[in-house]
Amino acid sequence: MSPIITAILLALTAMLANGEYFLGSSMLSRPLVTCTIAGIIMGNVHAGIVMGATLELAFIGSFSIGASIPPEIISGSILGTAFAIGAGKSTAVALTLGIPIASLVLIIKNLCFIFILPFFVHKADQYAAEGDDKGVGRMNLLGGFFSVNLPIGLIVGISYVLGSPMIKAFLGIIPKFVINGLGIATGLLPAYGFALLLKLMINKRNVVFFVLGFALAVYLKVPVTGVAIFGGCLALILTGYAAFKAHGEPTAATAGPAPERNSTNSSDKNGGIDYEDEEF
Amino acid sequence: MKMKSSKLLTRKDLMKTFWRSFTMEWAWNYERQMNLGYSYAMIPALRKIYKGQKGKMVSALKRHLEFFNVTPWLSTFPLGISIAMEEQNELNPDFDPESINNIKVALMGPLSGLGDSFFWGTLRVIATGIGTSLALQGNILGPILFLLIFNIPAILARYYGLYLGYNIGASFIEKVQKTGLMDRLSYGASVLGLGVVGAMVATMVTLNMPLKLGTGKGAASVQSIADGIVPGILPLLFTLFVFWLDKKGVKAQWILLLIAAIGIFGAWTGILG
Repeated sequence: MSPIITAILLALTAMLANGEYFLGSSMLSRPLVTCTIAGIIMGNVHAGIVMGATLELAFIGSFSIGASIPPEIISGSILGTAFAIGAGKSTAVALTLGIPIASLVLIIKNLCFIFILPFFVHKADQYAAEGDDKGVGRMNLLGGFFSVNLPIGLIVGISYVLGSPMIKAFLGIIPKFVINGLGIATGLLPAYGFALLLKLMINKRNVVFFVLGFALAVYLKVPVTGVAIFGGCLALILTGYAAFKAHGEPTAATAGPAPERNSTNSSDKNGGIDYEDEEF
Repeated sequence: MKMKSSKLLTRKDLMKTFWRSFTMEWAWNYERQMNLGYSYAMIPALRKIYKGQKGKMVSALKRHLEFFNVTPWLSTFPLGISIAMEEQNELNPDFDPESINNIKVALMGPLSGLGDSFFWGTLRVIATGIGTSLALQGNILGPILFLLIFNIPAILARYYGLYLGYNIGASFIEKVQKTGLMDRLSYGASVLGLGVVGAMVATMVTLNMPLKLGTGKGAASVQSIADGIVPGILPLLFTLFVFWLDKKGVKAQWILLLIAAIGIFGAWTGILG
């Protein structure tokens, strides 16, 4: 396949991945998906899937909660995989290239957020003032396309064409121990993702379940799916089957073996979630 | 799911909102976050409710272009409530339209707290755990199962959330907050999620120290000594170290760079392998 056609296909993959946000935030932008597609385009599906799994673990902590914008994983994982497979290199190389690319493209993405998207947001206000609902809707559709989707496609396509020969030459001069070291780093990187997840969830009341999951895995060799099943049962029991009472039946907060709150009053004030308690 | 009877809207109108809610994060912006997606999803219902009343339509559109942000897969729940309240606004002359946005704002925090811990911290972690363990062996089912395990519950939540929000309306929120149900659901999600994260730290962080201590027959690798204490303790300690760095406020780029440097240094000296 000519490099131009490959570049176009990779660019479309990037746009499909970003299209996740048009298609129900459906995880299409995750490396597990994008690297697999990039692998198919580069003619090595197996390598693509394995790289996808490795990058997925490295980026497991990169997701957008609230106003935080994580590294631009779409370009990082697609270009990292395409360059690594194109140069006949290992997963470690895909990750080594992917991480700096993701950080660089984030800067470009933020520029788009700052300079392009506000135009659509304010144009929507104008349409609203005129009662033009079609106009408001159009701003939603066009805003996302021109501010984020198209730029990411262009970045990926152009970078592939320009970067491919450069990357090949560059990979030729890297010493062996650096590549080995980066292979070791791919095993360590998931720790960062898990650390970010811990920060999101852990507090004094639930830290014990982290220890429990760890112990089940190392001593009893329970696989992740098994731990999820145990955890799900435990969660149902501990919350007094609260999940089945979501239809508005009164559930007394004190009934059942629910954990003690530090202060019931403060949690009521901010809507039941005691954010101060989230810090560990 | 059944829809409560309505003078102005049909099931078809709600389904339009359901499909449009898929674009909730498409035009996410720093200034007002999900405002474009939210108003886009409200438009079919608003068009029907305020047919031929331009003044009311203008203020409704403005109302839903205000700041909004929530875990995207739960966005249909506030949408359902907003639609029910807009309908009330049209039918009931005493209705205070300001309460529509008040409820939206009140919902953002608790709903996101529950949604983020369930969807990001629990469901996605399980989908990733199962997907990656297959994909690491090069199995194409890895990415496919990953997408299915995540999206089937996510789409169901989106669907039922809309009807639940529309049928029960604003009164539900008050009830839920009083009973502490939201808090308990959130706690349950964190129990499940943390268990899975614990298992993933044990199985998916790889840290090998083949370096031998001692000489001759008595030599034992650091790895085997550590595993004799608690199996997998090295990956666990490393994860806690990174957790600590992050808590100290070390920037993401520096942490990633440090991990790469540790790997290269370890390979160069032979401490890690």
